[in-house]
Amino acid sequence: MIKKVFIVFVSILVIVWFLTPVVLIVLASLTPSEDYYNQNRILPRKLTLDHLYKLFVVLNGWRATLNSLQVAGMAIGLSFLTGLPAGYVLTRYVFPGKNAIRLSILLTRSFPTLIIAVPLIMIYLKLGISDTLFSVALAHTSFILPFVVLITTSILSGISVEYEEAGMIFGLSRFGAFMRITLPLALPGLAASAIFAFIMSWNEVFISSILTFVNRTLPAQILNTAMTSPDYFKFAAGTIMAIPAMTFIFFTRKYLMSMWGISLK
Amino acid sequence: MILLPTIVYLIAFLGYPLIQTFILAFTSESGTFGNFQRLMDTGDFWKALKNTILITGIIVPLQLVLAIALALFVNMRFKGYSLILYIISIPLALSDVSAALMSYNIFAPTGYLNKILLKLGVLDRPLYFFGYMFQNREFWVIVLTEVWRATPLVFVIILAGLQSINKEYLEAADVFGFSNWQKLRKIILPLLKPSIMSALLIRTLFAFQIFGVVWLLAGRDILILAGEAYYWHNNVNDPHMSSAYAIVIASVSLAISWFYISILRSKELEGGQK
Amino acid sequence: MRKVLLVLLMILVTSLLTLAEVNFVSTQMHPAAERQFMEGDLLANFMKMYDVKVRFLPLTYEQASSRIEAEQRTGKVSVNLFGDLQGGIDLLGSKGFLSDLSDLQFENRTFIETLEKYAYAHGIKQFIPWLQATYVMAVNKKAFEYLPKGLTREDVINGTNKWTYDALLQWAKNIKEKTGQPGLGFPIGPNGLWHRFLHGYLYPSFTGAQAIKFDSVRAIEMWNYLKELFKYVHPGSSVWSALDEPLLRGEVLIAWDHTARLKTAMIEKPNDFVVVPSPAGPMGRGYIIVLVGLSIPKNAPNVDEAVKLIDYLTSPEVQVKILNKVGFFPVVKESSGIIPEGALKILAQGVVNQASTPDSLVSFIPGLGAKGGEFTETYRMAFRRIVLENEDPAKVLKELGERIRKIFKETGAPLPEPDASLF
Repeated sequence: MIKKVFIVFVSILVIVWFLTPVVLIVLASLTPSEDYYNQNRILPRKLTLDHLYKLFVVLNGWRATLNSLQVAGMAIGLSFLTGLPAGYVLTRYVFPGKNAIRLSILLTRSFPTLIIAVPLIMIYLKLGISDTLFSVALAHTSFILPFVVLITTSILSGISVEYEEAGMIFGLSRFGAFMRITLPLALPGLAASAIFAFIMSWNEVFISSILTFVNRTLPAQILNTAMTSPDYFKFAAGTIMAIPAMTFIFFTRKYLMSMWGISLK
Repeated sequence: MILLPTIVYLIAFLGYPLIQTFILAFTSESGTFGNFQRLMDTGDFWKALKNTILITGIIVPLQLVLAIALALFVNMRFKGYSLILYIISIPLALSDVSAALMSYNIFAPTGYLNKILLKLGVLDRPLYFFGYMFQNREFWVIVLTEVWRATPLVFVIILAGLQSINKEYLEAADVFGFSNWQKLRKIILPLLKPSIMSALLIRTLFAFQIFGVVWLLAGRDILILAGEAYYWHNNVNDPHMSSAYAIVIASVSLAISWFYISILRSKELEGGQK
Repeated sequence: MRKVLLVLLMILVTSLLTLAEVNFVSTQMHPAAERQFMEGDLLANFMKMYDVKVRFLPLTYEQASSRIEAEQRTGKVSVNLFGDLQGGIDLLGSKGFLSDLSDLQFENRTFIETLEKYAYAHGIKQFIPWLQATYVMAVNKKAFEYLPKGLTREDVINGTNKWTYDALLQWAKNIKEKTGQPGLGFPIGPNGLWHRFLHGYLYPSFTGAQAIKFDSVRAIEMWNYLKELFKYVHPGSSVWSALDEPLLRGEVLIAWDHTARLKTAMIEKPNDFVVVPSPAGPMGRGYIIVLVGLSIPKNAPNVDEAVKLIDYLTSPEVQVKILNKVGFFPVVKESSGIIPEGALKILAQGVVNQASTPDSLVSFIPGLGAKGGEFTETYRMAFRRIVLENEDPAKVLKELGERIRKIFKETGAPLPEPDASLF
């Protein structure tokens, strides 16, 4: 009984703590301008979709959203393709320079984007792929990769190698053991990495603004405008940016909790 | 071998820019270390360093404790835990700019907090949270914003790690009559170490580069390293100094990472294959 | 064989046709309403008239300069029109990234000479003037209840010799004492244009020059004045990059900022505010004229189309349209003197009044190329150290004055107005 009360109490606390700022900003983005500047009104008299409409439809935010989704998808794919094996190798094998490699992979992420922007873009211009969504995905992957490697390393190191060895005794190849046994166990960790990768790619604004002129991502298309426009536009942009991201997390949340109890004897 | 794609990829797309940054940082009119000398001569650098370390030092442990508590809570798998899990992860969907805006929306002199307090008669003049004279309050609003925004980051990693703990260990502990507290201390936390370490690592690295939230809420009232790098690059147009700052950020990140990894090394389960 | 050639020719022609596009990168016209006006109105008309595709790309200065620099370094140029403040263009020009526009001639218009003069630097004509703006003070009409003795509403609006910085101090003091809140606001945030107030308004008004009297005795008096004034300035100023929102929220009653950053307030609540000239100091009424130009990066493709767009954007009719919609003022004589209807009339009136004051002391932002940032930052640093951190003005000015002199010496840049006229 006490447990139930405790759960409900903490749940309410959590809901209020996390949701209040979000609700407030969505509210502000739906507030008509007259009400927003009115000192005496805390809540608006009516709600308006005007600001969202301006950003999403008039300024082609919807098309940019599709572009961003494609880029994020490619970025996740690319970073998993390269990062997952790397994480595996770094966990299971011991070889000289291993820690050095790990460190240097991490280090690449500590340089602020602005500082490395010009040489970064030059690479893409030289390669001639600059004005494509794929190039943006490539650029994003180079930022995301270190984190995917880091998370998979930590998750995989928590899965005992004995499971794989057991599988191999039963005739699976190392690769097979990895796919059939380790991977399902690592699913929560992969879900966490995927969420990370999506969010980082989705919110990235600087490189995506200057890498493509033809196919722009959502931040590239609306952020500069929103940040120089009146407050409610800023909030509207924040809301638009948040919705697909929240949707993605909604669908991956299941995988953060393992749905099956695996026991191997 | 398998590691090659990652390494090649990183070298190809990040190697050249990083080398450029190094070159810029280490060339100046007064020799190789000229920029760094200039860096250390300005009082700003030390203030920025102090502030960045202070912010990181306060935020990271706070978030870790909160995240572990939340993860354990959600893991109790009560009815509706899935929804709570989702709500906790909502801040992840927001950029640091959005989070800063949210705080501004609430704490500005014309923000919701002041509006409500004024209407209730608790205040007769708005409470200022932003501005040069209110650095302390700015600081705590920033801490609050960051804790709100980034705890889910740590939470997600911890939760994933919690999930991969073999249930058998906990079942065995039950057989031996361990209390919940003992289970936590003796089994869960130690087995969570890899996740805690990587969560700490990621969070510390990010915290060290904190920029958007501080810049938007406090401008240059509170100096931070990434902010100074941006300032020198953008406002003063001196790419040498900004690169020097970038190198400092990277070096300290390197030190932190090395520290974490060497602690982790001793606790890791390694395959021992060559 | 002939058929094959014909097909090849058609492919060539169509590919050339699809190549005629202008990638117009601009650091101006970012806010939603302005951008909609550019894309949906001005550029849409242009595209219809000339069958040229124009892509409007609002980028911040950091983004734009990163892209242009990368393009110039690799030789793969796609940005063929760049619109920015004169200072930013000058920076790119100092790195050799821009093409020389001296041969361009446009019909049916005369550009204002003082503005065109600033387009010549680093051996070429870097840009064609496009828009001009200035910084003014916006006053909430409620503030007139607290006017100090000897200053009337008309004095402020018309910029008579009673509207001085001393009067402003008294006024701000009254507001704080009578309302309990500091009512004066400045954009002192990191993206705010506070430095312009310091070097283009205060300095000329008190010392007669922007830079060459940096550490003079009059400068010390100026800084002491500012210390006094600052007691009555709203603390949120250190975070604000624009004053339209604080005005609308009623946080401040008197604000100083760029016309474009006050515009929203005028549009939202036209009956609440008036725009007035900046005050005068002992040496005159110093104010800045801001210049936005259109430039073409070196080796850009489709230069003809880019030039057509410049022609269109600087034509007298379009200039008036822009004034009506955006609040930037024309640079061609044929449009000047037309005051628009609507909320912008308030802005225009203030600007005109400021420009017509007999004690005007016009300042132009100096073209210092890569050192422009260091120049403005030195003023901000002086402010921080003297006013916020209470250092001795004489000491700080002596030290920072050296830096200012060094900057001009190193860049070899000419002195800006009004400094140049002192010689």
